[in-house]
Amino acid sequence: MARWWNRLQSAVYTRLHWINALYARVAGTKEVEIPLPPLVPLARPLNQARIGVVTAAGVHLESQQPFDMDDSEGDSSFRVLPADALPADLTITHDYYDHRAADRDLNLIYPVERLGDLAARGEIGGVAPRHVGMMGHLYGAQWTRLNRDTAAQIADVFREDEVDLVLAVPG
Amino acid sequence: MTLSVVRQMTEQTPGPRNVVVKFRLGQVFGEPGQAAQQRTILRDALGAVDRIEEAGGVLDLPYRWKREVYEEADAR
Repeated sequence: MARWWNRLQSAVYTRLHWINALYARVAGTKEVEIPLPPLVPLARPLNQARIGVVTAAGVHLESQQPFDMDDSEGDSSFRVLPADALPADLTITHDYYDHRAADRDLNLIYPVERLGDLAARGEIGGVAPRHVGMMGHLYGAQWTRLNRDTAAQIADVFREDEVDLVLAVPG
Repeated sequence: MTLSVVRQMTEQTPGPRNVVVKFRLGQVFGEPGQAAQQRTILRDALGAVDRIEEAGGVLDLPYRWKREVYEEADAR
């Protein structure tokens, strides 16, 4: 499918909330059955906790390989994002939602600066040193790969950094 | 913890804790440059840690697109 067509569609359904709700109902569950993850109490209270972000909004460093927009099943790879990366060093590659607003302010889908605000105010313990960018809109083999391989690899990034809580933010 | 702007999508693939705010796709935390709004959504989302008691629970945030005032957040 041509990228311009995907972008045109995304501009429409970004503004029509009911289409997304209908889509979720019609699309149903994916090919892989996902067990509900257990609810694990935080090891530390929020004002001592280290918080990380996984954004599925296609965020990556300008210097990193963009996500693959040519595979209609998406791209289940991920990019490690240093917390101290400047907004000017980050970009979005994702044709399946209208990200013109997020292009102006990444905090709309990657709220690392806002987490820094809360850390400075003592409301959270700190911001993880590394975050993760990936893309939503995954189907077929890419969805399977996400569940089989990529999700565990992403979890390892946060485990290594002793992150207490991860926010999974969509595009 | 997942965040979402479409509750039906959250219900299809829930995380252990889930927060829904009825904003536009690609604007989970609100509008560009509105740091107070973004902090408010973020703060309330983090509040789900204490408010959700069962795996898969969903916290619906009450905010309406462009019809809220977020002054208090900046005053903290």
